[in-house]
Amino acid sequence: MSRNLKGLVWLSSLLVVFGSAALIVVAILVDDHHPLSTLSPVGRQGKDIAALINPIFIVAGVVFFLVQGAVLALWWRYRVSGSDTGDGEFGYYDDEEFPTQTHGNNKVEIGWTLAPTVLLAVISVFTLITLFALDDVEASDEEMVVTVVGQQWWWEYQYHLDGNTSTPPDIVTANELVMPVGVDIPLDIKSRDVIHSFWIPKLNGKRDAVPGRSHDWVIQSEETGRFRGQCTEFCGLAHGYMKMVAVVLTKEDFAVWRDNQIAPAEMPTEGTEAHAGWQVFSQQCASCHVVNGVTSAANRGGESTEPDTWAIYQEHSSNDAGAYLGQDTLVAGAAPNLTHLMTRGTFAGSWYDLYLDAGNHIPYLDLADGGTLNRGELEAWIYNAPERKPAAANELRGMPARTSLSPQDIDNVVAFMSTLD
Amino acid sequence: MSITQRTITDPATIGTEDKLALPAGPAVATRPLGVFSRPQGSEGWTSWLFTVDHKRIGIMYGAAALFFFLVGGAEALFIRLQLATPNGSVIGAGTYNGVFTIHGVTMVFLVIMPMAAAFANYLLPLQIGARDVAFPRLNAFSFWCFLGGGVLLTSSIFIGGWFQNVPDAGWFNYAPNSGVLFSPHKGVDFYAVGLQITGIASLVSAVNLIVTVLNMRAKGMSLFRMPVLTWMLLITQFLLLFALPVITVALFLLMFDRLWDANFFNVAAGADPLLWQHLFWIFGHPEVYILILPAFGIVSEIIPTFSRKPIFGYHFMVASGIAIGFMGWGVWAHHMFTSGMGPLSVAAFSVSTMFIAVPTGVKILNWLATMYRGRLRFTTPMLYAVGVVSMFTIGGLSGVTHSIAPSDTQQTDTYYIVAHFHYVIFGGALLGLFGGFYFWWPKVFGYMLNEAWGKASFWIMLIGFNFTFGPMHILGLQGMSRRIATYRADEGFAFWNMVATIGSFVIAVGVLMFLWNVFFSTRAWRRAGKPDVGPDPWDARGLEWMTASPTPEHNFDTDIEVERFDDFWHRKYGRNEQGRIVRAAKAEDIAHDGSNTNVHLPSPSYWPLVLGGGISLVGYGLIFNLWIAALGLVFLVGALYGWCLEPADDPDAVHSHGAGHDDDDHSDLHSKPVAAEASHAEPDPDPDSQNEAVSSG
Repeated sequence: MSRNLKGLVWLSSLLVVFGSAALIVVAILVDDHHPLSTLSPVGRQGKDIAALINPIFIVAGVVFFLVQGAVLALWWRYRVSGSDTGDGEFGYYDDEEFPTQTHGNNKVEIGWTLAPTVLLAVISVFTLITLFALDDVEASDEEMVVTVVGQQWWWEYQYHLDGNTSTPPDIVTANELVMPVGVDIPLDIKSRDVIHSFWIPKLNGKRDAVPGRSHDWVIQSEETGRFRGQCTEFCGLAHGYMKMVAVVLTKEDFAVWRDNQIAPAEMPTEGTEAHAGWQVFSQQCASCHVVNGVTSAANRGGESTEPDTWAIYQEHSSNDAGAYLGQDTLVAGAAPNLTHLMTRGTFAGSWYDLYLDAGNHIPYLDLADGGTLNRGELEAWIYNAPERKPAAANELRGMPARTSLSPQDIDNVVAFMSTLD
Repeated sequence: MSITQRTITDPATIGTEDKLALPAGPAVATRPLGVFSRPQGSEGWTSWLFTVDHKRIGIMYGAAALFFFLVGGAEALFIRLQLATPNGSVIGAGTYNGVFTIHGVTMVFLVIMPMAAAFANYLLPLQIGARDVAFPRLNAFSFWCFLGGGVLLTSSIFIGGWFQNVPDAGWFNYAPNSGVLFSPHKGVDFYAVGLQITGIASLVSAVNLIVTVLNMRAKGMSLFRMPVLTWMLLITQFLLLFALPVITVALFLLMFDRLWDANFFNVAAGADPLLWQHLFWIFGHPEVYILILPAFGIVSEIIPTFSRKPIFGYHFMVASGIAIGFMGWGVWAHHMFTSGMGPLSVAAFSVSTMFIAVPTGVKILNWLATMYRGRLRFTTPMLYAVGVVSMFTIGGLSGVTHSIAPSDTQQTDTYYIVAHFHYVIFGGALLGLFGGFYFWWPKVFGYMLNEAWGKASFWIMLIGFNFTFGPMHILGLQGMSRRIATYRADEGFAFWNMVATIGSFVIAVGVLMFLWNVFFSTRAWRRAGKPDVGPDPWDARGLEWMTASPTPEHNFDTDIEVERFDDFWHRKYGRNEQGRIVRAAKAEDIAHDGSNTNVHLPSPSYWPLVLGGGISLVGYGLIFNLWIAALGLVFLVGALYGWCLEPADDPDAVHSHGAGHDDDDHSDLHSKPVAAEASHAEPDPDPDSQNEAVSSG
């Protein structure tokens, strides 16, 4: 090997080993613009996990440098280049000095069997302590339990303000989980179709939503803000587009939000655009989407005119497609409740922003008044959702297109939706 | 040729010799049905179709695995193109899901496993000094069955339109997303049926190789004189033997669910989807060790050879392999820390997973100790082997970090995991297997691969590999989920994804350079008039180097008697009066030159191919139309009958290869030692046993 090539080889091996390590360090230092990052947790549980794993990352880093350093040192110290010896490139050399033929050393072997064993035993103690501690829910005056329901490809949140999950929920909302700051919020994670996984990286690890099962989980945030999440169990076609947001408000703001959410929507005044939009919505959308107070079983061919959110969810909490209407409906049987759509910052499984200037900065409670509606995206979504986000609407999974709607119809529907704040 | 009866030995003579031996006598040859003579000859392409020679089967395994590697690699490049930028639209979400699924399935089941099978088939009999595997026809069947399953799986890419019927529920294929309701096209059927077929192949092969190692070792080759590679392959076969039935059950249930509404995984009918997860990972985790242990074995052959030292801590190397083989069964649920198991289960699997790092660490340290104070020659195989030590360490360390169950709830199903298992499976298994290609290429084909191209392609591959999968650690910790078809621009994933995509194309360049090297080296060798590379070009240690290159069809001219570990090396080297190691003999003088033309070998057979083909036809039939399955069944049953009725030794057979064979003595199973070889052959106390025929399967 020529001198230049040898230099190149050494340079590149050093680059590979130390470059990759340096990259990780840089990545940890520059963690500003990563809304899903696990490296800068703000939740109690997330911080506990980081406190456990960060020292282990350091131990692993030390082992990494020791082993890679040993490889390079052995390489450097004991290499023999082909041109240094004998007559052939690979073959034997009769006059070659052989290294001592060590076959092993039992003491050394036992030593390096025990050393990692002890190290791992220590790590396992801390792991188990954290593992069981993460199961605890800190007591607080907040009794609320949120049932989190995954389905293709969005999340629903059912708020049980009294903590009793066997009664109808007080609030049903979608995609954005709103919660007060500083309080452990117990979650009850479920699925209506396939396995999903609920994950707000800055708050806590993930928990699978498994159909037929109910999994306890808890999240908490020590700061207010909007924290992104992502479904992390592969759940079919639009898995990557199934996102969510945890919105953490001060306790006062949360109370305002909560009281607003409990109220049903108001019927638009007759003769307005919004009323025309309500009519279109009732015919085209209300077989799946509920708006408390203005859509009801009557819109779906039933008799009662009472708001019936809970009844619907009770009826098709199983996978029986179309069971409750006697007609084909979504496999999951449920679409997002839109009662307070305009109070959310995102739509379509949090894939699209509902407001153009949303981001993480505008005050959440002012969204409906202060934001600029992302009208073009919302209209495009109503008109042809499968084009805006992958869906299998023809297999009753995801929102079907409504290309029969005229531009006027869509304007009216958006006008109706704008009243849902 | 007349059919003669075997003569009965007078019982009085039994035991008068050193060992119990049946006297030599004419073969019992029958021709049931009077048709279907076994195919003959070892030349021409048809001889490859009907071969039962473990070496040819090994070569075919390797070639098929390389072909599937290119398919799986192309799929990987599409994945990287789709993810290169936010809001990627190169292939779209539906196709993307199919591509990453078939990429995983291809790389695990159709690349790493058969590549390891290539080495197992070719080397295992040679390393233990045997003529062939225990059941040569069964061995051929394993290959054809694997190929049939592989073709079936791969054909899902284009049958019914490109990516219309490709499996799209992930290689882990979690229920109920793999059910008909959520994956209505035929993709998951291909998965369920195809993997059952390749599973049959692996299972049969496992039994075959276990019997081979346990029963057919050369005289004196006790278990603890076997090379580390043989040990690792043996452990791998045991893992396969016990793991494959589990996945087969799971796939069987899945197939019944999808084809005949069996409701094993239907939640609406009361099923618990965690059943699939447990079944899959009880197979799936030992599978990880099935993928990596052969590469560990290969590294354990290469590093001593190029360090000019024996492997450090041989018994610990073997024991740690066995320990991994056992502990590998107690860690499966670490794939399920977030699936809703109770904290006690999580704690148990978390701890057991941590401690599996111990035997793995022992291996790493023993390799380093082997290099310590050695004379290290960095040939291409050595580069790959040291690459495994270095890269696998990274994968092992990230593995420890997600055995920490609480932190795994942050890491699982993110790109951190993708990074981890690519460091294990690419950085560990695949680099090791590539090192094996370079190391044993001269033994298999009779010429070396070019070293300059080999080293260049190694460095390109290694650098590309680190640029592809290194950044994925960062992406995963920054919160990028696995299996997402794209990501939003404001999530901050764009930069490292672009780096990874560029890296993946650098890997592709490295792989193309390997292929060019094969072409270039072959051409150079042909142009140079096919010079003989010699039996032992690397001055290596295993018995496989004690015969001519390429290996003669009958492997060894005479039976080998082994006296210690690394026996071949000890035949080459001794100590002088000063205790200094000196060469005692040249490899050329010790190694068998393949000149013995009188070795009785099993005849080729039509039936393994027909049986393997029949099984894949049944597979297609299950997916598309049961009438095709009926046709496949006809082939299958016909092949079974043909197999059973086939004469063990065709009386018309030319027993062996090559010219100079005396066709008149073909009934003489125990042919006499050939005088010409006596000069190089080890003196053998028992000439009668020299050319014993192997079973014909």
